[in-house]
Amino acid sequence: MTPALHHYLIVSALLFSLGLLGVVTRRSLLIIYMSLELMLNAANLALVAFSRFNNHLDGQVMVFFIITVAAAEVAVGLALIVAIFRRRQTTHVEDLATLKL
Amino acid sequence: MNLALISHEILLLLLGVGVLLADLWLPAARKRSLGYVAAGGVGIILLVSLLGLLPGTVGADPTAHAFGRMFVLDDLALFFKRFFLIATLIVLLMTVEFADRVPAGIAEYYSLILFAASGMLFAASANDFVLLFVSLELITVTFYVLTGFARSRTESLEASVKYLIMGALSSAFLVYGIALVYGMTGAFNFQDLAAVDAPHLEDPIFLFGLLFVFVGLGFKIAAVPFQMWAPDVYQGAPTPTTAFLAVGSKAAGVVLLLRVLFTAVPAVAAEWAPVIAVVASLTMLYGNLCALPQTNLKRLLGYSSIAHAGYLLLGVASLTQSGQAAVLFYLGGYLFTVLAAFMVAAAVLRETGAEDIESLRGLYHRSPLLATGLTFSMVSLAGIPPLVGFFGKFLLIQAALAAAAAAPILYAAVGVAIVGVVVSLCYYFGVIRAIYWRTDSTGHPLTPSMTARLTVGACLAGIVILGIFPSGLWESARQAVATLSLN
Repeated sequence: MTPALHHYLIVSALLFSLGLLGVVTRRSLLIIYMSLELMLNAANLALVAFSRFNNHLDGQVMVFFIITVAAAEVAVGLALIVAIFRRRQTTHVEDLATLKL
Repeated sequence: MNLALISHEILLLLLGVGVLLADLWLPAARKRSLGYVAAGGVGIILLVSLLGLLPGTVGADPTAHAFGRMFVLDDLALFFKRFFLIATLIVLLMTVEFADRVPAGIAEYYSLILFAASGMLFAASANDFVLLFVSLELITVTFYVLTGFARSRTESLEASVKYLIMGALSSAFLVYGIALVYGMTGAFNFQDLAAVDAPHLEDPIFLFGLLFVFVGLGFKIAAVPFQMWAPDVYQGAPTPTTAFLAVGSKAAGVVLLLRVLFTAVPAVAAEWAPVIAVVASLTMLYGNLCALPQTNLKRLLGYSSIAHAGYLLLGVASLTQSGQAAVLFYLGGYLFTVLAAFMVAAAVLRETGAEDIESLRGLYHRSPLLATGLTFSMVSLAGIPPLVGFFGKFLLIQAALAAAAAAPILYAAVGVAIVGVVVSLCYYFGVIRAIYWRTDSTGHPLTPSMTARLTVGACLAGIVILGIFPSGLWESARQAVATLSLN
């Protein structure tokens, strides 16, 4: 049996939900950030699948844009996480509570 | 392909790269004055654009497209491009004023502001989900760096990490939403989407995708329930970044929201107007009520910016041309009002180092000009006539009431808006009370620099003149929204 469009979409929805679950439940900045990347890749998978099954190349082009932007975002994000680790010796979200009422 | 149409963006990017390169050769003592060069450059681009001398704006048909209709240059785009250029100009001057508190790399700060501004200019012209995503990310990723720029302050880094997580989460939603919309319709382009057959409008996956797109845009304008980042980020970020975030980033979200709602999916916009009205009411309530107990000036302005996002959404929910024109007018007034407040904050708080409202006490005796600037700004934000903030709120509420016959929920939203205005008087006048009626024990006269005086003076002029003669801005706002498909 060859996988059909809805198989890809189910995998992509699962990836997105797992990523969201990770962002909501995990407490380490690095793991949260990893889960966010998982969510972006879920979107990539959906775009590629739609593009393939609709015979329409625009979706694949969009994936290139998303990968490029995500790479830039990761570069900035990891730099910020390293900077905050140097300052506070921690990457746990509970410890980032200077800005509260 | 027509490169002349993106001349605003090309010039701004060249300026940004030029500032970045000049950083390599200038001696450290003179790097601060690069800000004047950057501001001057933005001023020239603005002037040339206003005079209509830029290629692409002369003699072109009213809606010119470039890059396979991905990019559109119409009156709406031009209105916002000029709006963003004015905001960038004032923020750059504010940054020069603030420069002694940025430990290193001030030239990078200037060029990052210019790059973020070019992202906003692209956002003003987005006519396609691809350009929408890329321009939004250009703004957001640049703002992560700008927020965390004061690396020596823990608050700045913390604000930046919070913005990073929330921002990345919202862009993940945005991208997934775009993927679903594309999958169901096969189109990224807004006009193509509008032309798609009606059956898609009943498709739950399509609607889900649109909902996710609005989550991403709601985050940008800080609407409830995507507002939780705003107070922390506003408080922790360096003051010029906060000012740019409050004006530029919010306006970019608004223009993209208008484009998606009224160009790509007008049918869905009509369906969802009650939801927008509810979100607007919640946003106004949340922002105004949470601002009441605040003691930190920047955090207070953060909550107040949430409330103003609610007023803007009220205009969007009215679904009429005059409602959208009121949104544009409101943003035009908000630009001068908020930048005046942050300019005074940057000039006063550098003396004391604290950001509490208490540290403003006796400001009237220390510097009458700064005190006047902050007072007018607060009065305008509260919406008291005859300043520009009053006309903005008046036009928004008028438009909402005119549309309320068709959608009764707007009556409730207008009620909430009026309650919100009354509540907001309390905290805005708390600031004014600190300026005039608290005597300062340690107060010594403050002499703001020439730049600070000129900038506050210009913002004051904007607040007063647009309040007394609102017709010019109102006309150009009406002309700008004529391109949206509305009645």
